[in-house]
Amino acid sequence: MACERTATLVADYFDTALGAQQRQALQEHTQQCADCALALEQARHTHAQLLRWQPQSVPAWSRVPLPAVQEPPRRLRWTWWQWAPLAVSCMLALAVVLNVQVSTGVQGLSIRFGAAPSVDMAQLEARLAAFDAQQQAALQTLTQTLMQQQSNDNARLMEAMIDGVIEQLGDSTARSLEQVIAYFESQREQDLQLLQASYQQLADSDYATIRSVEQLAMLVQGGQP
Amino acid sequence: MSLAEQDDALIRAALEGSARAWDQLVRRHETQVYNFSLRLTGNPTDALDLMQEVFLGVYRNLHRFRGDAQFSTWLFRIAHNKAIDMGRRRPQCMSLDSVLDEAGDQVETRWQQLDDAPEQDPQAMLDERQRNALIQAQMGALPLEQRLVVELKVFQSLTFEEIAELQDISANTAKTRFYTALRRLKALMEQDHGM
Ligand SMILES: [Zn+2]
Repeated sequence: MACERTATLVADYFDTALGAQQRQALQEHTQQCADCALALEQARHTHAQLLRWQPQSVPAWSRVPLPAVQEPPRRLRWTWWQWAPLAVSCMLALAVVLNVQVSTGVQGLSIRFGAAPSVDMAQLEARLAAFDAQQQAALQTLTQTLMQQQSNDNARLMEAMIDGVIEQLGDSTARSLEQVIAYFESQREQDLQLLQASYQQLADSDYATIRSVEQLAMLVQGGQP
Repeated sequence: MSLAEQDDALIRAALEGSARAWDQLVRRHETQVYNFSLRLTGNPTDALDLMQEVFLGVYRNLHRFRGDAQFSTWLFRIAHNKAIDMGRRRPQCMSLDSVLDEAGDQVETRWQQLDDAPEQDPQAMLDERQRNALIQAQMGALPLEQRLVVELKVFQSLTFEEIAELQDISANTAKTRFYTALRRLKALMEQDHGM
């Protein structure tokens, strides 16, 4: 091609972004330039041949990635054990206000209200320590039970979803099923880790509340925190 | 609601977690992406792989779609990059050989039959599959960058500005690349009995 404008001119001809004025100039040039006229004619033919492509329909495929883009954040259900530390704190505070005396003697457990000649600090300390241990054990058991339950729930959910997916795919291949399982496995793993962390945090924070009320009780009763 | 607006609505719903919206969005565009992949790779197996890669990319980047371009343009931006990736990772499935292996034999047989009956219009004699196979073979003879320019210009109607941005070249280079590719295709078509 002798004309140096040919390449750009032919390309511009097929550019949908070309303005009306530029298209006009293009046509004027083609009328005067045999090189460009011929090149354009051939390019149009080639272009038309390409467009004879017959669109093919998509074979069955699994449309990965599968749904479940984002699950709504899981809402923690409030159960009795989550309120328990707060209730205990309130009771302790009330005990301090009412100046309740708890003592064990030969007559067994006895409770007295009002001022008393002395506070058995060692005994209170021991009681609180025992309470601490009890709370921790209870929290641990509950956390485990709940996590077990959560894990069962997830397993059931996963089964149901896999069933749904298989039903939808019909001729699902072993490969896509593996992808589904791998996906849900990883989701479940993340969920469990998250849950474990939040239970631990909750247990820690409530435990800290008990400790501070305990310190308050000692201060009010004149002991050293 | 225009097609682009429908796409936007589906994208919003998909981002809010609607699996149905995502499924619909994929179904609306999969034929276009599959045919794009078929012309680029030259065979259905690799085309399916490439299409899956493209939609995986779309899925992962959906939250980045800003709506300043049409979704289909944005989609083919991803498709272009995935095709380049695939060409680097698996050069054999983006090469002429794989196309010719599949398409060559049947087209060759067909042309022999046509030579025996010269009075008939050769183009009309080609059935759909053979014509596609021929186009695949001709496209497959081009270097991947040129093949992509032809694909995005002829079949996806992107502008040269858009193609230039994708290939990180100037608009003028994109135009030259397009023209070079067309001339190469013309030669190949003449070689293939004046298609
Ligand atoms: Zn000229």
